[in-house]
Amino acid sequence: MDRYELQRLDYSLSEAHTDLQAAYRQFFKTSCSIDTVRAAEASGFDKNLWERLCAMGATTMALPESCGGDGATLVDLTLVAEEIGRSLAPVPWIDHVCAARLLARLGALDIANDGAADLVNGAQIAGLDPQVDSAGGVRLIPTGSVADHVIVRDGETIVRLTFGTRPFRVDNIGRLPMAWIDPAKADSRAILAEGAGALAGYRRALDEWRLLTAAALVGLVEETMTIAAEFAKTRYTLGVPISTLQGISHPLANMAIAVQGGRNLARRAAWFLDNEPDERPELAASAFVFMAEEAAKAATMAVHIQGGLGVSSEAAATAYFVRARGWPLAGGDPGASAKQIAEIVAARESRAERRS
Amino acid sequence: MDFSRVDLCADDQAFLDEVRSFLGTHVTDDVRRRDRETGENFDESVHLAVGAKGYLAADLKPESDGGFSPVRRRIWELERCRARVPWFHTGTTAMIARTVEPFASPEIKEAVLSGVLSGHVRLCLGFTEPEGGSDVATCKTRAVRDGDGWIINGSKMFTSNAHNSQYVFLLTNTDPGAPKHKSLTMFLVPLDTPGIEVQGIRTVDGDRTNITYYSDVRVDDKYRLGEVNGGWTVLRSALNAEHGVVDRDAEGLQKIAAMSEHGVLMAEAVDNTAAIAAAEDANGRRLLEDQSVKYRLGRGIARVEAALSTPEIFGRVAIAQTMRDVSPDLMDILGAASSLPVGAERAADDGGVEYIFRMALPVGVYGGTLEVFRNMIAEHVLGLGRPNYSPPKR
Repeated sequence: MDRYELQRLDYSLSEAHTDLQAAYRQFFKTSCSIDTVRAAEASGFDKNLWERLCAMGATTMALPESCGGDGATLVDLTLVAEEIGRSLAPVPWIDHVCAARLLARLGALDIANDGAADLVNGAQIAGLDPQVDSAGGVRLIPTGSVADHVIVRDGETIVRLTFGTRPFRVDNIGRLPMAWIDPAKADSRAILAEGAGALAGYRRALDEWRLLTAAALVGLVEETMTIAAEFAKTRYTLGVPISTLQGISHPLANMAIAVQGGRNLARRAAWFLDNEPDERPELAASAFVFMAEEAAKAATMAVHIQGGLGVSSEAAATAYFVRARGWPLAGGDPGASAKQIAEIVAARESRAERRS
Repeated sequence: MDFSRVDLCADDQAFLDEVRSFLGTHVTDDVRRRDRETGENFDESVHLAVGAKGYLAADLKPESDGGFSPVRRRIWELERCRARVPWFHTGTTAMIARTVEPFASPEIKEAVLSGVLSGHVRLCLGFTEPEGGSDVATCKTRAVRDGDGWIINGSKMFTSNAHNSQYVFLLTNTDPGAPKHKSLTMFLVPLDTPGIEVQGIRTVDGDRTNITYYSDVRVDDKYRLGEVNGGWTVLRSALNAEHGVVDRDAEGLQKIAAMSEHGVLMAEAVDNTAAIAAAEDANGRRLLEDQSVKYRLGRGIARVEAALSTPEIFGRVAIAQTMRDVSPDLMDILGAASSLPVGAERAADDGGVEYIFRMALPVGVYGGTLEVFRNMIAEHVLGLGRPNYSPPKR
């Protein structure tokens, strides 16, 4: 790639962006306290919060106008995802949005069909298998215990599964409504699409999932960093606030750096997927690989800074800590994404070599 | 938000062509080889040609005063990086010139600034001292009144390009009894003044810098910048510039952080590593077939793209830190031949990654260490307060 080509590096948000961001930040601030988050831990899902979120149009916005949606860009969606991470909202918004957009892409979200409207407005929840190299067979689905439709890849086909009785949730570190799903035991199994085009559509959904998860992790890290920083300003040792000790302040500064870099990278990745999808296809996975690593590191340090109080399971810090690990891990080994990045860039650079 | 390619109007396209042809003429393989060998980051013939062409002036001045438009400024920046113009110290001269302007006497301003624009005058920094470290305000170089002038004694580290410069932007102590921020006075000292000795030092990345010694150096008072004991004010505006405080425009035509150029060198090394990993070796094998190679390369790419996305002071740290974190992995991937430097027989990536590994060290030191920037983020962004240091032993 020509790294000296004249391209804009404009990360600024428009007024519409900042309005959207402010609306969702306010919504989660008033509707999703840490107590709300804790109260939903047994199920991994707050139905009431989900319904109010959907009433705001959070699912409708993500779908194309041809399906009755509002045609938001992925950049818009990263802004919402960041607020979900900031508040740890127990709602399957990322998975639902990625699965519903996939259905739309595969032509399986026909607006004339009664069920379609319910998926668009979130009355029915869609989930997907976010693993890059899913082996097939029984698998862990992050939204498995709440999704009305589960979209999975099975060899060359993309199928939609439904279950008469929802599968049981398994306890998990991400506090997700996760369940083991056996496609063979689904009550209905509909083939949505097959072949190369279908698989490309699924890959795009995986990219979107990783992109939005990266954005959520940015919000998550920023919030747990802020809580830890406030704690450090008021906690004293030998007469000085611990925030003035470099052993505390420098790790906090590193979190601020990761937030700034991860946020801009996620937005840049989103912009390219929106506008020039073939130009930088490695960036969504890059944002994910970067934030998956940084989030766990940052959330660990945020707990550590708060010492004995931080490690208590009642501390907000631990709620951030477990999700920082569990949310990206729901997509499987981030190393699989790292390998995809290498393949994409190696192919591009060897083409460039041949040209030069 | 916009990351698209910029469509150039005919005039700007002509400017781009002109810049490329100019650099093609003046920045020859010989220039680049000499630059590598000497580590000077400066080439007088190129520098004077750039000045004669008017690019130095256009780069230094704001658009309202005949300087480059944002798009031309960006073209110039990208093309001189592409051509590997020995350039680093030109930025230092520009930064000092901007700082000098509001503080210098009219006579000095006139003499210095016109020379800076033509390329005949270069300026170097004299902040850090051999025993001073990152706190520039702990200054032991003394300036003492002597009639209508001053006598200066002391020494300075990292006076890079002093041997190609006409003046040093010198921080002195003029009141050792006063609190440190009220004891400093700045001078622009002509480097041909008797009593100044410049001694070269090579750094681990191959660059040349200097230590300069000042023994009973007599300078006229007209070379003073700002008030006596008011040096901190002058220094502050220079440090802001050096630390990469960037006013952003709305068009996305600026680099995103100080040291972005180093970030791009790192990105090129990663791109080259990817190309090498994809190529078949003599036995028809590709490095990329090794899953651990694929993983390390992919993780490295992700981290480099994150660093390149990181803005302002955050990016200043992210770039240097990521160079240090990622380059060892890239060297491992390329194997033993990545221990060979540029120009050595069959050096992996012609020594590109090996150079990044070495360069990562000074990039995290000069212009303020990474700790200085982490302190600034902690204090000014996160509001954590000034760092607490234990008091000196009594």
